Amino acid sequence: MEELLKGNYKVTKNIEIEAEEKSENNLTINFKKVALNSIGGSMVYVERNTLVWEGEEEAADKKNEIKSS
Amino acid sequence: MMDMHSNIKDFQKLVSSIPNVGLDWHRKTILDHARDTANFITKNIKELKLPEGKDHSHAIVVSAGPGLHKNGSLKKIKEFNYKGVIIAVDGSLLHCLRTGVIPDFVLSLDPHPTRIVRWFGDPNFATHSKVDDYFTRQDLDIELRKKNIEGHLKDIDLVNQYAPKLKLLLSTTTSQNVESRTREAKFDRYWWNPLMDNPKEEGLTRELYKINKAPCVNTGGNVGTAAWVFATSIFKIPTIAMVGMDFGYQKSTPYTLTQTYKELLDTTGMSAEDDLSFLFPEFKNPLTLETCYTDPTYYWYRSNFFDLYKNSSSKTINCTESGILHGEGLECKYLDDFLSEVADG
Repeated sequence: MEELLKGNYKVTKNIEIEAEEKSENNLTINFKKVALNSIGGSMVYVERNTLVWEGEEEAADKKNEIKSS
Repeated sequence: MMDMHSNIKDFQKLVSSIPNVGLDWHRKTILDHARDTANFITKNIKELKLPEGKDHSHAIVVSAGPGLHKNGSLKKIKEFNYKGVIIAVDGSLLHCLRTGVIPDFVLSLDPHPTRIVRWFGDPNFATHSKVDDYFTRQDLDIELRKKNIEGHLKDIDLVNQYAPKLKLLLSTTTSQNVESRTREAKFDRYWWNPLMDNPKEEGLTRELYKINKAPCVNTGGNVGTAAWVFATSIFKIPTIAMVGMDFGYQKSTPYTLTQTYKELLDTTGMSAEDDLSFLFPEFKNPLTLETCYTDPTYYWYRSNFFDLYKNSSSKTINCTESGILHGEGLECKYLDDFLSEVADG
């Protein structure tokens, strides 16, 4: 069937395929999958500045205070 | 075959692409889990207290990297009768208990649906093992590679024995089976949210907080770094030693036993006969002069750790004695030396 359908009409628009870019994107996507498999669902975003956040209503209070017993 | 320049470019590209894609990838799972666990939250980490009778000026974070076994870190901690605070990650819990080191806190983060419960003794061990060979390949607790059902039942008993005495710092995003297993084992549970994105903007962190109002803690992407964040930022321990914090593999570990090996071959179209070294960069440990190697995910963890390390006011010392977590001003020391120093006061 594929042989019968192949090339039996001509598209009017010229379609350019950026082969190199496509290949690079595929590689990146695949690499991402690899990384995601390996982290097994660990948290994957890192906020660079905030170590702990307790909600805005408590932002004015002293943060993260856990006193020794 | 790619040349060296493009190899480095590809490696860096992979490392830098992990965070945002991962966030999208796990968004639904994370929110589903948080809604489920919200029904069981009776305490959050704001109610935590440091243990009585312990020296709060220093702590050891027990991560589960291969150095923990190779260097006998837990045995040394036990022999020195360490008096500081001990914070263990879930993957090191069984090894701790087997060695007689009872952690003051145990931390669990990963929402994986079947693997994490194994660290607490998985009642469905046989079923989960049939569909996942993770524990026959992982190097976090090598005892689990060879465990049969009988051995696994012993682990369950061991965890059951100690659970009521252990403070478990449990992420709200944990899976249903970890929630039920740790509830049934009677862990003393304190809940927290992983900080997923900038909380000052609308996003996943705010969504989690709205569900349960638990504090949100930065994890660095992995449970070991999260345990260190608890030590420095929640408990505000002045001096923190880390063990089992490798973020890499021993040079003697074959690539085939790394956690992404099969996927890396599939992705790159390479075979075991090809030169795979660009996927596994090597580092020489400045303390031991041993060469270790890493992979893209562990390298990303390393970068995250150092970003957070810059914001820490604690003194941190890596006593893993192996791995790739060194440089950037982080002191590395033999565990024996650290233990002797704190014992001498």
